[in-house]
Amino acid sequence: MSPQPIIQVKNLRRHFKVYQKQPGLMGSIKSLFKRKYKTVKAVDNISFEIKRGEVVGFIGQNGAGKTTTLKVLSGLLFPTAGEVSVLGFDPWDRKPEFQKQFSLIMGQKNQLWWDLPAMETFLLNKAIYEVPNDQFEQSLNKLVDLLQVRDILNIQVRKLSLGQRMKCELIAALLHNPQVLFLDEPTIGLDVVMQKALRDFIKAYNQEFNATIILTSHYMDDVKELCERAIIIDKGKLIFDGKLHNIIDKYARNKILSLVFSQAVTKQKLEKFGQVKEHKQNGSAYTATLLVPRKKAAAVASDLLKELPVEDLNIEEPPIEAIIREVFQSGNV
Amino acid sequence: MSKYPKLFKYIIVLQQYWQNLFVYRMSFVVWRLRQFLSSFTALSVWSVVFANQKTAFGYAQDEMITYIFLVTVLYNIILSSSLNALSGEIYSGSMSTKLVKPINVFLSLGFQDLAHKILNFGFVILESLILYFIFKPSFIFPNQSYELIFIAWVALAALICFIINLLFGSIGFWSPDSWGPRFLFYIFLDFTAGKLYPLDILPNIIQKIVYLTPFPYMSYVQIQLLLGRLQPNQILPITLTMLAWTVGLILIFKLVWQKGLKNYTAMGQ
Repeated sequence: MSPQPIIQVKNLRRHFKVYQKQPGLMGSIKSLFKRKYKTVKAVDNISFEIKRGEVVGFIGQNGAGKTTTLKVLSGLLFPTAGEVSVLGFDPWDRKPEFQKQFSLIMGQKNQLWWDLPAMETFLLNKAIYEVPNDQFEQSLNKLVDLLQVRDILNIQVRKLSLGQRMKCELIAALLHNPQVLFLDEPTIGLDVVMQKALRDFIKAYNQEFNATIILTSHYMDDVKELCERAIIIDKGKLIFDGKLHNIIDKYARNKILSLVFSQAVTKQKLEKFGQVKEHKQNGSAYTATLLVPRKKAAAVASDLLKELPVEDLNIEEPPIEAIIREVFQSGNV
Repeated sequence: MSKYPKLFKYIIVLQQYWQNLFVYRMSFVVWRLRQFLSSFTALSVWSVVFANQKTAFGYAQDEMITYIFLVTVLYNIILSSSLNALSGEIYSGSMSTKLVKPINVFLSLGFQDLAHKILNFGFVILESLILYFIFKPSFIFPNQSYELIFIAWVALAALICFIINLLFGSIGFWSPDSWGPRFLFYIFLDFTAGKLYPLDILPNIIQKIVYLTPFPYMSYVQIQLLLGRLQPNQILPITLTMLAWTVGLILIFKLVWQKGLKNYTAMGQ
């Protein structure tokens, strides 16, 4: 039997009224007397369910509605319409029994006391979440070792690097062992090494606690490494919900053929096989990259092997970020 | 069953508020110096007024100096600047980190306010001793004492002030700037709460208008009670008025806060 969903969202809408100022000084003066407002549909009728232990990636451009959805799920925003249930609670009720079971981590906001060492925030959270002493010691030691931050616990937060701060944010958010994690851009601004360290940590946390995680990120590597399932949101609407690799089946029109030739081949000759993305000569190596329709890829590869001096040939799927970029740019949703 | 006493988390909030305040030693010293100089100025002005006369506005010098001295102490206990940053916190979305936690936001803010007041009180005692030796006021207290009523009135005034500060903070749900209205409030308060002079030196009509606001209940009536300048039959109406202001402001605040929360955009991203 498949597990019951612990997050249920049905026909969720969240609209904002936004003031529209006319340009220039006259616009400012006019706005003193009369203002025009526009309704922005940040989230527009989306529905989905998430089961315990799932790690789901929210993908979308800036302003697509990802963060707004997370804020509704955490009880910060009042939904304009629709039904939301997390762990059986209506988040808007903000019941302590609910709040003790989840954490919201926002890469651009911090809960750490800026002028005090991170340890002080950990102690405050221990009291707020009523974490027993032994559990606190155990969780803290484990998290501190995993994230390698033992030597910075007693240094003022404002003196820490962004990466160190983010690690401490994670510890503060996880000390009470939440079952549900809402991670909003957790790796934003971090270098690649630190991004990888955080991803590994999030993966380990999911496996150890069977935690349910929703992650938004601008870095496709975060989503690719952590999430099997992806939800794509565009202009407030849900346009895809399924396995990450199904995005390729649904939206990728082409496959990529990477070729290495034993002798020079002209671009014109290659163009009859597909769209030439790259054509170059590096010393004695002649290489090219072709985009060919997915269904014809095998046949085209066979023709290439027959007709041209091919030394090596690879058929690849396009990178997922390129597909998503194409989806958003073409508006083909 | 939780092993934690109910208020334990708020005691930690209180302690961390102090820790935060002690980080910047210089601003802490300057803040106390400002309070001290403000009290010193008021006492100096009235000392000058009485230099060539024994009474002014129906007050003898000792009475007036005692009045100003007490109002200085009370002001530090009743008023508080601990919530000055609240509207900015709400407008910028920083409030979100508090709203998602299993903690009562108002109790948490209340304990911050309490931390501020306890600290103020400690320093006011110290500063008052210095002022006492400079101005040497001779306190004149009546024989009949109303300590309990006085304490209750001070507590009610602190509560009224806390709710008014919460209301100013709620402006953050709509606008980043609560400084304008707050500034007006403090200017108005200085003139109508009896900080600079006792209110009974004002013309009758103005006194009547001032009594329609909550401001005279924020220091003036407490000191009048302590100095024995109130009739016993005035105690009940004043108590009821203060209670009415408290309940009324709580109701207004509840409405504003609920509406604000629904309007909250948790901005920033």
